[in-house]
Amino acid sequence: MDENILLRLRVEDLLYLEADLLDRWQLDAWLALYTGDAHYFVPPSDVDGDTASPETSLFYIIDDRVRMEQRVIRLGKVGAHSEHPRSKVRHLVSNVRVSRDGTIIRARSSFAVWRSKDITSDVFIGHYLHEIVERDGGLMIAKKTCVLDMEALRPHARISIIL
Amino acid sequence: MQAQMPRIVEDQERGSFLVPRKAFTSREVFEREYAAIFDSCWLYLGHASELAEPGAFLTRTVARRPILFTRNRDGEYHALLNACPHRGALVCRERHGKSPAFMCMYHGWTFGSDGHLMSLPGSSGYPDGFKTDPQKQMVHVPRLERFGDFFFVNFSRQGEDLATYLAGAGDMLKLVSEHSASGMQIVGGTQEYSMRGNWKLLSENSYDGYHAACNHSTYLDYLKNTNDALGGTPLEGVMLDLGNGHAAVEYTAPWGRPIANWVPLWGEEGKAEIAGVYAELQQRLGPDRADRIAHKNRNMVIFPNLVINDIMAVTVRTFFPTAPDYMEINAWALAPREESEWRRKYRLYNFTEFLGPGGFATPDDVEAIEKCQQGYAVGGEALYNDISKGMHRAEGPAFDDEAQMRAFWREWDRRVAAHSELAEA
Repeated sequence: MDENILLRLRVEDLLYLEADLLDRWQLDAWLALYTGDAHYFVPPSDVDGDTASPETSLFYIIDDRVRMEQRVIRLGKVGAHSEHPRSKVRHLVSNVRVSRDGTIIRARSSFAVWRSKDITSDVFIGHYLHEIVERDGGLMIAKKTCVLDMEALRPHARISIIL
Repeated sequence: MQAQMPRIVEDQERGSFLVPRKAFTSREVFEREYAAIFDSCWLYLGHASELAEPGAFLTRTVARRPILFTRNRDGEYHALLNACPHRGALVCRERHGKSPAFMCMYHGWTFGSDGHLMSLPGSSGYPDGFKTDPQKQMVHVPRLERFGDFFFVNFSRQGEDLATYLAGAGDMLKLVSEHSASGMQIVGGTQEYSMRGNWKLLSENSYDGYHAACNHSTYLDYLKNTNDALGGTPLEGVMLDLGNGHAAVEYTAPWGRPIANWVPLWGEEGKAEIAGVYAELQQRLGPDRADRIAHKNRNMVIFPNLVINDIMAVTVRTFFPTAPDYMEINAWALAPREESEWRRKYRLYNFTEFLGPGGFATPDDVEAIEKCQQGYAVGGEALYNDISKGMHRAEGPAFDDEAQMRAFWREWDRRVAAHSELAEA
C-alpha cells in the first residue's frame, strides 16, 4: 500500500483514539498521547488561525505542557463548576490529510464537537492542525491547534471542555 | 399604561440592599434599559490603536447598532451608522481594513471615510444637488468623543460631555495608560463570546471580589501548583467609588503581573525583565505611582458596560444584551506598545490562564451567571437579590464587599426611574 496512505491510517487511529478519550473524559490517558514539550492552542475567530501566533495575538487557549497538565487537574475537581456535573461530549473527526515535514508529521482534519449540558447543546466547528512525531515506534502529538471555523464563539460562552 | 418598573430597595439603617430579580428577567425592563441607559450613556466604541493608520476602519455593533468607525487620510476619526441612506443596506461588510471609500454593494453608492456621498451610478436619474443633499449622506453617531486613546459614542445629543460623565473613572483610565511610556495598544485577536444571562450579571461579576475564593478555587489552586506556595501576597484591598455609577476595587493578589510583579513560573529571565520594567516605572512616575501600578490590581466597571480589569493582564471588555437573558461580549487585551517580545508573550500567556472562554476562571463565571438566570425562574416569593455585604463595615467597604455593585445599581435605578417618570408624564 502507498506509504502516505499507511501513514494516514496510523494518524487517523491516533486522532480517533484522542477523540474517544476526550468523549469518555479519560483525560490522564489523553495527556499521555502528548510529548513532554507539547502545546495546545485555540485561536480566536478574527485572526488567521492557521498562521497566527499566541506570542503576538490574543487566543482563547495558550497551553504549554505545564498548563495542559493543570487543565486536566482542574477538570478533575468539583470546583471546576462549569464541568461539574460533567457535560456530555462528542468529537467527530474527518477529512484527515497528512504530510511529512522533516521529522514532523503534519495532519489537517475537520472537527465537529458537541457539548451538551442541562439546557444547552452547543457545537464547535473547525479544523485541527496536529503536529505529530515518531516516538519508540509509535506516534505522539507535539502540538494541536484547534482553528474554529466560526465567526464568534456564540452562543457557546466557554471552551470548558477540551476540543 | 406604563408597566411598573421594578426598583431597588435600600435601607441604610438596617444595612439592607435589595435588587429585584425582575430587573434580570423582564422584557419591559430590557426595552426600558435601551431607552434609559444605552441610548443616553457614553458607550465604549474602540481604542485609537485599532485605527493606527490614516484610512483604517473597523465595524462593530454598539447597543444593537452596526457602526463603521473610520479614520480618514488627515487622521480624523468618524463614527458612522453603517447603513446606506439609499435603501438601508450595510455599507461596509468587512470587520476591519484600510480604505479611503466604502461602496454599498447593492446599487454602488460610494461614501468617503467621513460618510459623505462621493459618487452614485446613474446620477442623471436624480435632480441637481441630490448628491449633496444632507439626507443622502451616511449618518454620524450623534456624539463621538475620546478620553486619551479610548473612544466613546453617545446616541443622545443631550447630556454631559465624556470627561464629566467619566468622573473619577477618568483617572483610572489615565492610570492604565501610564503602564506605557509610549502608549497602550490593543493586541490583535478578539475574544467574542456570549452568555445566556442578563447583562447586569456580568457588570456585577466583573468586580466581584467576594466570589473568588469559592467560584475560582481551582484557579487559586493552579497558582499554588505552578508558583509553589502563594507566598505572602494576600487577596485584600478597597473599593473606590468613582461617581456616576462607576466603581472599582483595588487590591493585592497572588498572581503575576507583566506590569510588574514577577512569579516563579516566569523563570530567571522573566525576573530580570520585570525588574527592568519596574525600574522604568519608578523613574518615570515616582515610587508611589509605580508601586500602585505594579503591585495593585484594579477591576473597574464604567457604567453601564465597560470593564477594564488590570489584573494578571489588562482586559477591555464590553457587552450588550440582545434579550433579557442573553448578551454578546467582546474582550480585548491592552498592552504597552513598546514591550519586549518576552513580555508580550507572557502577558498573553497570563491573560489566558484566567480570562476568557478557555481560561481557568471565566468558564466558572459563565456557569455562575447562567445559573443565576436559570434560578430566577423560581419566581414566587423569591423576589430579590441581596447586595448588602459590607454596608455596616465601619472602616469603609473592602474589595470583597458589594459597595461597587451598590454604586452600579443606584445609577441603574436612578436612570430607569427617571425615564419612567418622563414616559408617564
